[in-house]
This record gives sequence, C-alpha cells and structure tokens, in this order.
Amino acid sequence: MRSTLRNPAVYILFVAPTLLLYCLFFIYPMLTSSYYAFTDWNGLNVYKWVGLDNFIRAFEDPDFRSAIVNNFYFILFSIFIQVPLIVFLAIMIGSIKRFQGFYKTTVFIPSILSTSVIGILWGFIYQPEIGPLNKFLGLFKIEPIYWLADMKWALLAVLITNAWQWMGFYIVLILAAILAIPKELSEAAEIDGASGWKRATRITVPLIRPIISVVVMLSIAGAMRVVDIILVMTKGGPVGSTEVMASYLVKRAMGVNPSYGFGTAISIIIFAFALILTALYQGIFGRNREGAEY
Amino acid sequence: MATAIKRTLPHFLLLVYVAIILVPFVFVVFSSLKESNIEIAEHPFSFPTKLYFENYVEAWVKAKISVYFFNSVYLAFSSAIVGVLLSAGTAFALTRMRFIGMSKLLYQFVLIGMLIPGNVLFIAQYLLVMKLGILNTHWALFLPYTAGALPISVLLIAAFMKSIPSELEEASIVDGLSSIGLFARIILPVTLPALVTVFIVNFLGSWNEYLLANFFISKDALRTLPTGMVGFRDAFQTKYTLICTGIVFSVTPVLILYAFLQEKIIEGITAGSVKG
Repeated sequence: MRSTLRNPAVYILFVAPTLLLYCLFFIYPMLTSSYYAFTDWNGLNVYKWVGLDNFIRAFEDPDFRSAIVNNFYFILFSIFIQVPLIVFLAIMIGSIKRFQGFYKTTVFIPSILSTSVIGILWGFIYQPEIGPLNKFLGLFKIEPIYWLADMKWALLAVLITNAWQWMGFYIVLILAAILAIPKELSEAAEIDGASGWKRATRITVPLIRPIISVVVMLSIAGAMRVVDIILVMTKGGPVGSTEVMASYLVKRAMGVNPSYGFGTAISIIIFAFALILTALYQGIFGRNREGAEY
Repeated sequence: MATAIKRTLPHFLLLVYVAIILVPFVFVVFSSLKESNIEIAEHPFSFPTKLYFENYVEAWVKAKISVYFFNSVYLAFSSAIVGVLLSAGTAFALTRMRFIGMSKLLYQFVLIGMLIPGNVLFIAQYLLVMKLGILNTHWALFLPYTAGALPISVLLIAAFMKSIPSELEEASIVDGLSSIGLFARIILPVTLPALVTVFIVNFLGSWNEYLLANFFISKDALRTLPTGMVGFRDAFQTKYTLICTGIVFSVTPVLILYAFLQEKIIEGITAGSVKG
C-alpha cells in the first residue's frame, strides 16, 4: 500500500518544475553573479577577468562611499527612531481592550501598498507649492520647504516616508508577541503596585526582546536593499544626497553605458554588508542575552 | 479622574498615529475629485466644491490606467496561482512521499533561496531574461515572480502539510487513490487555508513589485501599475488631480482585498518575513 507514495515518476513530476524554475532564477543567477563581478563585462561579447578591480573601483568612488553612508542613515533612523516608536505603539495597542483590532488593521495598511504608489503619494504631500504639508506649515507662517529638492531635507523626507510605510508592519509583529505573554504576569505586577510604565519596561520589554531583535535585523536587511522608494521619489538626487547603494548600482549597471560586471560587484557588496551587519548584531545581542541570565 | 485619563491616553496617542496613516489617503481622495491644481492650492484641506468624476474617466481611458491595471491583475494572479500550485506539489512530494533522504536534501537546497535578498540577483536575472529572449514580454516578469515566491511558499506549505495526520492518506490509499489523486482530492483541500495565505502573499508581492517591472519591461502597453503609475506621474508632472486619481485606482483594489481578508493577509505577510 505504501508503494503508491514511492512512485519515483510522480515524485519527479511534482518536484522537477519547481526545481527547474528555482535553479534557473536563483541558483544560476547566483553563480553568474559571482563570476561576472570579477570581469569587466558590459554587455558585449568580449570581456576579461579583472580580479578585484570592480570592488576597488567602487570603494574608491566618493559617490559610492556617500551612498554607503546614506544606507547607514537608514539603519540608524530605523534603530533609534522607528524601533522605539514601534515598541511604544505596540505596547499601547496591547494594553487596551477596546478597538484593538481596529488599530491593528489600520496601522498595517501601508505595508500592503506598493512602494512606488507610496512614493508618488508622498511626492504629492511634499509638493512645495500645493502639497498639503507645506500648506499646513504655512498656517504657522513657515516658508515653503522644497522637501525633495533641497539637499538639507531630501533624505529626511524619504526616511519619513519609509518609516510611514513599514512601521505598522513591525508594530503588528511585536503586538503578536505582546499578546502571547500570559496575562497573569502583568496582572500580578499590577496587584503588586507596579505602574503601567514599570510593567512595560520591566515585564513586557524583556519578554519581547527576541522579537525586537528580529525587528532590528529585518530593519538592517531592509535598509541595506532599499531602492524602490529612492528611484520613485528622488532618483538619488538632489546631487546624490539620497543615493543609496542599490540605486547607485541600478544607475551604473543599467544606464546608457551598461557595466554589468561592475553592477554585480556592487550587488555582492550589498549582500556582504547585510550578512556582516546582521551577524555582528546577532553576536552582540547573543552575548547580551547570556549576560542577562545571572 | 486619574483613571479616566489613564484609560483614554493610549487611545488618544494611537488615534494620532492612525490619523498620520489615514490623512494622506483622505487628501488624495479629496484632491482626485477637485477641478484643478488651483482648487487644490486654494482649498487644500477642504472637501471638493463640486465632485469632478471626470478625472476618473480621464485617467482610466486617456492615461491608460486601465491597461496597467489589467496587466497587473493578470500577472499577479497567474504568477501567484502557478507559484502556489508548483509549491504545493513540491511540498507534497517532500513531506508526504517516501523519499525521505532525497526530500531532506532538496528541502535544504530550496531554502538557500531565502538567504538571498531579491535585488542582489537583479542584474544577473536581467541578463538571463535577455539571453532567454523574453525581455520586454510578460514572461520576463511572470517567470521571476513565480520563481521568486517558490522558496517561502514551499516552506510555508510544507510546514502545514507535515501536520496532516498520516491516517488520512493511508485511508485514501486503501480506498484506491493514486498519489496524484491523493494530492488533488485529499491533501490540497485540507491544505487550503495555507494555500490561500501563500496565494495572497505572492499576489501582493507581484502586484507591488517595482524594480524588475521597471527594467524588464519598456513597452508602455505591457507596464504594470507600479511602473505605469510612475510613468503616468512623470508625464502629468503638474496635473495633481489626475495623479491623485491614479493613486486611488491603484490603491483601492488592494484595500478592498484587505477589507475582506485582513487576518489572512496580516498572518501571511508576517509569517513570510519572520521565517525568512
């Protein structure tokens, strides 16, 4: 009777199409990427092995270095501004009984929308002459600000949009962990006279630390590969002030003079950055957790 | 008194955040119904004086939002459904068929895909698509979208299928079902909740995808909503009423879907990211 489930032809029939597609669009590009990154291929048939030249050229380019710095702004903004707000708002939603579902559903909305549409929407909000934000600030006699065209403001404007898009998603992630905490814990603390603030910092936050660290790592990974919102809102401008690694890659690799070898080298650098930073964070966080045990 | 403040303060703070989320949409809807930029500029915060539904007709017909919309619908739908079916078949073979050593190996192999962030492979995939001669066709998006969803889909569906009691399949085999019959008539229906979740996640992923759609398709008639909308904005640079109308068109279907399936969508998107 078991022989039905041992039919190799059926097994292959079920597995082969998936594996074929997967190999073609994941494994093969991965292999070619790691090869092209060391060549000067630009779409023509003649190309040669250039060793680490592409990597050196990237790090020597001040434009690329400032793009790396902007990626780090994304990381810093999410860790020091978004994450505390996310945890705070999640605890707020977790602490109330009425309308919990409403808040959860509403804050999640931006995370199901396309980044490009969100970029266009915020482009309108930031529009200097007729955009609602400047109109609103105008009520307080604040001169119109050229949010996306002024080097001082552009990156901040994009960071805010990015935060608006993703915070709700992380709030819902953390909320799930908060709601999984046994009610008795915080009730006992309440009877012992702990204030809401104390209960949040002494009970809830320590208990949800694992999920907070997941959020931090997802934010780091997300900050490393951010690109859509840049391409839609600023195209890296004004004067490279919002350029990130991935938008730099897209411009150099896919422009009028494509340089695929150089582009793949950049994508490997992005990948390496993401791996190193998450490993680093995990290492530090792992030690912290052990330290907290005694 | 103090307890009343304590009880309403969280609601107050949360409502401020909810307002930050929702107010941009309100502006967009209002502006989409206004006559022109002048009306938006002069009465930025007020309800439109007269409802200009003409904007909607104009955007839908002239600006080809309808074309982008249907391209998105059928690309997102077809790649999501094919992705779900392929992953379900593979998950079935890996979890329920008796090739255990092989299955473990293949499972690990497919999971490697989840370590690689999508746009790292972007250029290599572009070159591949070019080599296959499908650049500037919908295949150039359909194939990477379907393939891109496979690792996480296999993971989620396999996790679900593992939990199906084996008595169920033993009974069906005794009743004379073949492997394919067992898969199609017993396992698939039982797995339906997981399949729906995975379908939704894949659908939204393709519906919202921008980078590949932007570079793999340059013919206007083949564009999807995310890239079509950007082209639309660049073409109508100054007509904000129409741009807002376009935003309404591309956001509404997702919101309708969300209204009906919010629990499924939230569950799927969060599960997909954390396990990844």
